[in-house]
Amino acid sequence: MAEIPEHLLKRAQAARENAETNQPTSDQAPSETIEADSAVAVIEEEIPETDERAEEILNQILEGLGETVLTSHIAPGRGLWIRVSSDNWRQTAEFLKDELDCKFFDWLSVIDWMPSPYGRELETEQDIEPEQDTNEPEQMEWGYTGGDTRFQLICRLYSISNAAGIMIKADLDDQSPRVLSLIPVYPGANWHEREAREMFGVTFDEHPDLRNIYLPGDFEGHPLRKDYPLLSRRMKPWPGIVDVEAMPGEEK
Amino acid sequence: MSTTTENEQLAYIASQAADARVNVEVETDEGMTLNLGPQHPATHGTLRIIAKLDGEKVVTAEPIMGYMHRGYEKLTEVRTYPQVTTLINRIDWLGSFANEVPFILAAEQLMEVEAPPRAQWIRTILFELSRIANVCLFLGDMAVQVGATTPVFYAFRDREFVLNQIERVTGGRFHPNFDRIGGLKDDLPKGWIEETRGALERMKSFCDEMEELVLGNEIFQARTRNIGVIPGDVALSYGLSGANLRASGVDWDIRRDANVGLVYDQVDWKVWTHPDGDSFARFWVRLQETREACNIIDQLLGSIPSGPIMAKVPRIIKVPAGEAYVATENPLGEMGYYVVSKGDLTPFRVKIRSASFSNMSITPWILKDVFVPDIISILASLYFILGDIDR
Amino acid sequence: MRGEKEYLNGLKSSSYKGKHMGLVESGKMPKSLTKLLNMSRRYSMWVYQWGLACCAIEMGAAFASPRYDVMRLGVIPLPASPRQADFLVVSGTVTDKMAPAVRRLWEQMPDPKYVISMGSCANCGGPYWDSYSVTKGVDQIIPVDVYVPGCPPRPEALLEGIVLLQERIMNEDMAERWRGDPIVVE
Repeated sequence: MAEIPEHLLKRAQAARENAETNQPTSDQAPSETIEADSAVAVIEEEIPETDERAEEILNQILEGLGETVLTSHIAPGRGLWIRVSSDNWRQTAEFLKDELDCKFFDWLSVIDWMPSPYGRELETEQDIEPEQDTNEPEQMEWGYTGGDTRFQLICRLYSISNAAGIMIKADLDDQSPRVLSLIPVYPGANWHEREAREMFGVTFDEHPDLRNIYLPGDFEGHPLRKDYPLLSRRMKPWPGIVDVEAMPGEEK
Repeated sequence: MSTTTENEQLAYIASQAADARVNVEVETDEGMTLNLGPQHPATHGTLRIIAKLDGEKVVTAEPIMGYMHRGYEKLTEVRTYPQVTTLINRIDWLGSFANEVPFILAAEQLMEVEAPPRAQWIRTILFELSRIANVCLFLGDMAVQVGATTPVFYAFRDREFVLNQIERVTGGRFHPNFDRIGGLKDDLPKGWIEETRGALERMKSFCDEMEELVLGNEIFQARTRNIGVIPGDVALSYGLSGANLRASGVDWDIRRDANVGLVYDQVDWKVWTHPDGDSFARFWVRLQETREACNIIDQLLGSIPSGPIMAKVPRIIKVPAGEAYVATENPLGEMGYYVVSKGDLTPFRVKIRSASFSNMSITPWILKDVFVPDIISILASLYFILGDIDR
Repeated sequence: MRGEKEYLNGLKSSSYKGKHMGLVESGKMPKSLTKLLNMSRRYSMWVYQWGLACCAIEMGAAFASPRYDVMRLGVIPLPASPRQADFLVVSGTVTDKMAPAVRRLWEQMPDPKYVISMGSCANCGGPYWDSYSVTKGVDQIIPVDVYVPGCPPRPEALLEGIVLLQERIMNEDMAERWRGDPIVVE
């Protein structure tokens, strides 16, 4: 990496300090800076701490599916997550479609929870904080509803009559991730599964056509896996914001 | 080629076609294979469709995408949150501002920041302006696809007035990169509201013009009525959204039913649906929605609250760990971002749910048993943008 | 008959190039004639538009909208085929999957042919400089005459690029172009 001029480092340091002093505190909530107005009052409602509708739906799901729901999570006002095992993947979707009227197939994808072995690959030295030791290997951490394995399947179904979106997650095997295809339930899953196969290497059983959807047929690797390197960054890292000439009034 | 047999030659031509290098028609005993694209004049952008024909009838049609795949989801993982907005502008390039909004809203949800009302108002106005800028071109282009050239010139002419208004606020005709976590970059310039009203008048008269010029036209009706009919439940199971879904009679609009962070509940407006589900219905719904967008902006312009346009956010943005999914009703349909954060400067994973990808996944189903000229009009009426399919 | 035989022999020999093909190829073009030809070439160009991404819309605005009106520069858009085109505008992101098609399209055009690369993506990869699927610059596959920067460039910028190309054509020595080696891009 090219050496960064000192004045830029100083500027970055000043920016960091400035940001630290500007951290919003609890008594400095953004809504207080706003003029009260009759129209404004409507949208300033507090986000509810509990979400009764989501809980009601979750109860329905738990009644119907029982033990197969491993964990669940409700973020009030934001959504509902459930985690099932990959063996029950298709049954869960069938249940949600039939019983909870989730007719709308929103999307399907995979999350690779392994921390990137290349670090964050940020472009500038300014972005990397000095106190953070990047050499220490990070532990795998899962998001909402937890997880056991590296690859987690995630799918969102939406019920128009209940006005509720449900996220389903399922853990996949590390070595040979495979799961039953959702095409018999939702034909729209076809392309989403092809994309997931191509980007993560997840095999969908009973899928009629698992060719690459985006990349050329002879493309090697699965780009969205965390261990797939972005070669342009590996070959020649961008040196960051480096002024070739000093700006007027600045010392080089 | 004298040493090779005719069958070998045919196989060679077919393999060339499969390599996306030529437009070619191959005739065999089973029928004819027609390769549209990726550089065919009749296709949109760089979509490629391989259709197997039996006479004039399509037996199977298979879209091949990826000619515009730029790897957004991977690139977002190595960019900071403010850098991501620059990138995602370019997904649906006709309505760029609308691409930023759901991502910013998702990040705001995770940071538990809310934009001040004035910012929300201006966001909604710009969102609807980009809807007009986007759909306006569809209205012109759809007419081109069924054989009328003039409307697209009108569309390009009148679209400039909307782009000018977007440019005056954001500084960019196409890719504003104007939305920030916690608000907007800047306030409205002086005199903008009045000028926007002028542009809206222009757009309203454009809609009337298109209605007279295109909608009532006998040829247009013959080319679109009862062509490419999608029933409502099929549309839902394929994940169609936006005007395509509403043209199939499903009364669902995220702006009304699952609104997050924008001020559609402050205006009096209507969701348009059409029961037919054919190409004509899709055109009709989009035309009405353009009018409705003018109506929404008109009302919002009169009630912009005063106040700041930025909430207090730290200068270096770190989003707390968590997962959030926010979708908005973009010009093309539901666009959403599933943001997974680990409390870092960069998102850990961003899944982009783009409207056109799901909208186009119905093509193998809908192009079955249609006639060859209808391929183009059905694809045009489904309305996709390649960047939104391939990402 | 003797003349014909000689002519055919001449074609077979390696030195036929530039001998029998006319004024331009023989390099004996009078300057004033070159000027006249160049002027007519520069103001009657068919452009093949190869729209790929965002820039395609700005190109559309430049070519199809009454506000920018490219025809006043003597450029006619929308030819039926690349075989009729004089220059090519590559506008937008060229991906590795699309690159062979771009190359093939360029090969289909008749000489003399010119290329305008429009927008950052076609110039160098633009915002996708680190992507795994984007070709970093269309000049890796075809030779480019004019680069129009911007993301996307305004329609005016594309018109300026066309004017620059026209200036280049005006100052071109056609005989020189013919005598030179064929353009090879590795």
